[in-house]
Amino acid sequence: MFRGEQAEMSGSEILSTLLGSEVRGDLLVLFHRNPGLIDTVDGVARRIGRTTVAVISEVRELLELGVLRQKRIGAFEVVSLDRAKDRELLESVANHLKTVRISGEK
Amino acid sequence: MRVRDSSWTSPRGNVESVPRPLSSDQRFAAENAFSSVLVSTVREAVGDALGRNVLEILTSKGLLDASNDSKEFDSKLQSLFGNGAAVLERIVVKDLNRKLGIPYDSEASFDYEKSLETAKEVCFVESRLK
Repeated sequence: MFRGEQAEMSGSEILSTLLGSEVRGDLLVLFHRNPGLIDTVDGVARRIGRTTVAVISEVRELLELGVLRQKRIGAFEVVSLDRAKDRELLESVANHLKTVRISGEK
Repeated sequence: MRVRDSSWTSPRGNVESVPRPLSSDQRFAAENAFSSVLVSTVREAVGDALGRNVLEILTSKGLLDASNDSKEFDSKLQSLFGNGAAVLERIVVKDLNRKLGIPYDSEASFDYEKSLETAKEVCFVESRLK
């Protein structure tokens, strides 16, 4: 259902995708607080207090970005954090933010 | 039947007796307590969403210095994250509300400043009841 593909993106684009919706923000927090979490999309939705319908497209965005990866365990498709890719993406975001001037910054 | 002299409905929806007003020392302590909870919540929310490196960069840029001034914090977040600022603010408020026992409704319209005022009010009321 999902594919973990990602064209070369700038730090700014990665940031926009990561914080593209409240649900995506909740997913990031969930997986960063529980980096070993492996669960179905239904289970992930329950964990953040949302419906599967509300979460499925957001999970897909994170799979396409590469933050999450998907695999089959028995009869279940499960998702988990791709720690190496996540680190790489957040590093790009950090490098981008270094160049952005914050309002009021001297 | 005896009727209470006065009552108020707390942000948690409970009707409680009107708490005593705070002395200036208590108010100062409550302000500090709220400030401390808010700063730690902002740190956790940003760190958990975007990682420690990003948190360190934002700290070096003075973002966390503005945590207590919701307007300034909002403006700084907007300049860094654009539309993503609202997502980070919601994460902060959700965590803050959880810590203070305030219900959070993700379907309701969102106002960062008002949400912080409500949280601060709860912090102050809890100080009065102690």
